Amino acid sequence: MFQMRSLISLNLIFILFLSACDPVKKSTLSLSPETATKSPVWSSPFMNGFEKALFRTSLDVADKHLTGISIIKKTSDSSFHFTFANEIGLTYFDMEFYRDTYRPDYIFDPINKKSFLKILQSDFSILFFSESAGKKPLRKYIQNGSGEAVYLYLGINLYAWMDTKQNSLTELVGWSNYFDAVIVGFREYENGFPNEIRIMNPKIHMTLTFNFLGH
Amino acid sequence: MKTAKILVFIMALQGVCMFLQAQTKPLSPTDAMDVRKKISEAAKLTLCLEAQFTQTKELSVIKEKIISKGNFYFKKEKLLRWEYTDPFPYLIIFNNDKVFVKDEDKENHINLQSNKVFREVNNILIGAVQGSLLSDTKNFDCSIFDLRDEYQATMIPVNLRIKETLSEIILYFNKSDYTVDKLIMREVSGDYTRIEFSGKKINQNVPDAKFNIP
Repeated sequence: MFQMRSLISLNLIFILFLSACDPVKKSTLSLSPETATKSPVWSSPFMNGFEKALFRTSLDVADKHLTGISIIKKTSDSSFHFTFANEIGLTYFDMEFYRDTYRPDYIFDPINKKSFLKILQSDFSILFFSESAGKKPLRKYIQNGSGEAVYLYLGINLYAWMDTKQNSLTELVGWSNYFDAVIVGFREYENGFPNEIRIMNPKIHMTLTFNFLGH
Repeated sequence: MKTAKILVFIMALQGVCMFLQAQTKPLSPTDAMDVRKKISEAAKLTLCLEAQFTQTKELSVIKEKIISKGNFYFKKEKLLRWEYTDPFPYLIIFNNDKVFVKDEDKENHINLQSNKVFREVNNILIGAVQGSLLSDTKNFDCSIFDLRDEYQATMIPVNLRIKETLSEIILYFNKSDYTVDKLIMREVSGDYTRIEFSGKKINQNVPDAKFNIP
């Protein structure tokens, strides 16, 4: 009995801790009167039939502004390859991403920092592998202004924004602690794929932008 | 009969091997010096150059290609304009020690003295067009090969800074006018970028305004 109580207390402390780290401002959201019992269906645009895509890409991090072309290719059911090179053709990143890890094939020396690559791994994991299957949201909110539906999945620390009219995923916000919150935005869908994808890590001032060029 | 067939096959194989050996054997120091001299003389006479280019980046791990196209302008001594048109507009102007980069919504001024990567890229591109890269023994080991229609100059970096990024630069010089037809930059990652020039116009007055940095 005592053990059970301790376990509940620990769980409560853990949930309170995660809630304290929650990066989403609740003042911009209204709690939906509709309960979140009906699970929404959504998935990352990189799932369900995605093979490869070419992007105009820019990365702003600290004092560095890198631009060029990147290619993302699905290499297996559980991996994606990402290559980002400057316009002249010199490679910045050549990496294979898995759900929980990555393999750096080549990283441009000035940005080859383990802590930075770990953040990228976490960001790309959210970008490539997020989906609603098997998950039940804890709460549903409505985004003030746009009217988008916002679902909170507490177990995996993820918010998902849905444009209910277009039935498309417009934003994901994930976090594991106060410092690694990531915002992934999907804009201007055409034929089921966004024309712009933006990954932001506000705490490390990183913005990675992908503009779709072709499959 | 069977033995005769085998002998013919072996002789044919030997012939192919000898042909390939002749193709890949570097020129003797005297012949290489002669080719270098001709390239250098042609470069001295090239006051300006205008061409189209096709750039192909080959990605070794995923076996994919990224193709870009655009226009290239060069004017003596150190003016270079790379104007990408495909798959999106992008402009780089090298004007002596300054670099200007313009993409869709951003303009960026870079000082070559403070940016190592751009400085190396600028040196390689200007050196390739002017042929001076072949004499840059401080930074490269150079071997010249005589191919059927071109001279191939294989440059292996000896400079540590360049070696960190590039494992090899290969320049192909046209045998008729000794200008660069093709350039391959092989990276340490195994990827390489091939830049092929076409529609070359030599000494047909490229306006100075093409290299103006706003």
